Amino acid sequence: MNQKKWFIFQRMMPMIRPWLFPLGVVCLYGIGLMLAPENTEKAFDKSCSIFRHLVLPICLCLIMMVALNRFLSPKTVTQFLGKSSGIKGLFISSLAGILSMGPVYAWYPLFKSMKEKGTTNFHLANFMGCRSIKPVLLPVLVGYLGWRFAGVFVLACLAGAFLVACIVSLFCSESPPN
Amino acid sequence: MKIAVPSTEPTLEGYVANKIGTASYLLIIETYDMSFEAIDAPSQSSGAGAGVRALSLVMDKGAQVILVGHISPFIVNGFADQGIKIVTQVSGKVGETVKNYMDALDTRQNNPDPQPETPSSQDQWRAAMDMGLRQFRAFLPLVTGVVLLLGLFQGFISEQKLVSLFSGTVLQDSFWGACMGSILTGNPVNSYVIAKSLFSMGVGISGITALMLTWVNVGLIQLPAEAKALGTGFALVRNLAGFIMAVIISCVISMFAGGWI
Repeated sequence: MNQKKWFIFQRMMPMIRPWLFPLGVVCLYGIGLMLAPENTEKAFDKSCSIFRHLVLPICLCLIMMVALNRFLSPKTVTQFLGKSSGIKGLFISSLAGILSMGPVYAWYPLFKSMKEKGTTNFHLANFMGCRSIKPVLLPVLVGYLGWRFAGVFVLACLAGAFLVACIVSLFCSESPPN
Repeated sequence: MKIAVPSTEPTLEGYVANKIGTASYLLIIETYDMSFEAIDAPSQSSGAGAGVRALSLVMDKGAQVILVGHISPFIVNGFADQGIKIVTQVSGKVGETVKNYMDALDTRQNNPDPQPETPSSQDQWRAAMDMGLRQFRAFLPLVTGVVLLLGLFQGFISEQKLVSLFSGTVLQDSFWGACMGSILTGNPVNSYVIAKSLFSMGVGISGITALMLTWVNVGLIQLPAEAKALGTGFALVRNLAGFIMAVIISCVISMFAGGWI
């Protein structure tokens, strides 16, 4: 009987293991609820709000991933975002970063998929760095902090993304496409 | 010719498994005399990796054909490039299936068909959808954990507590601004609002620039998720470089363009 239970446990473990981290955080909420219920309630509201804002980017990301899996082969990705893509690759990764929307963690599965298809670390880091620039939010930025600051900030973001991408490509080894 | 078949039993009387990753045994059958070798299939506890390891195992054994119930058309194409044929939608007893395949092969050799078999567009869409959902499902627990952790952080640490860290010196303000931006996250608009309120409280341009630069680029809380997606080395180097770069750039801006801005 014990052997059967152990067998069932072994079969269930791969399904449970990925959920240990969120379950750990849920435990923290439990502790928080006992020690500081008001703050925990506020924290829960914040999490719900983040989840609500995630729905659209996640849907967008999923659609893009399916399209990417369907149409892009490692060969094509390597051509546009691989080692030999040159200035074209830099431009494409920057533009993709600028146009991407939503929190970065909604994009990780796509980044993983892109990496597996042959996108270099440089282009991935540049893509992620350029996400700081949001064309739709530019009027808000100008309204809050002035056009001079907005202009300098956008240039700083582009320069920062490029430099970080250079550092990443220098220190991280590339893995071959799957 | 060697044919690999994922099976429910270690004999030719077993049934062809629907997926190679979920089979209990892998049979490598020599069609010349129907002799076979039964190998224990890789454990399913390795999740999606079990299929890949099973495929690599049958390749090592020199199989030229794989008969299976279902497999992604992408894998079929990939193996075809390497000269290994994968035949899908196969079911029934292993021994009978192999004999049927050999009979069909003999018939085809007598009447060769020049058209190669390619998966239909519908199959390719289905496979792309399956792959996308599988990739996303793998990330769902981690994203859930990160979001819950973010909420916890934002619920317990007030903005006032964080503002009190800024002292007024360029380097220190840049550092604390970058720290704040690395921990907090969310819509960039929030960083604009916080930057504006910090600015009106007297925090220098270096502090708010560093905060805004790291807000999107550096994420301490989502670091485990990034490490899982792109590797620990990549995540650490990128976040650390982003942090240092934000401090340097904001100091430079403050020193050279602070008055103009």
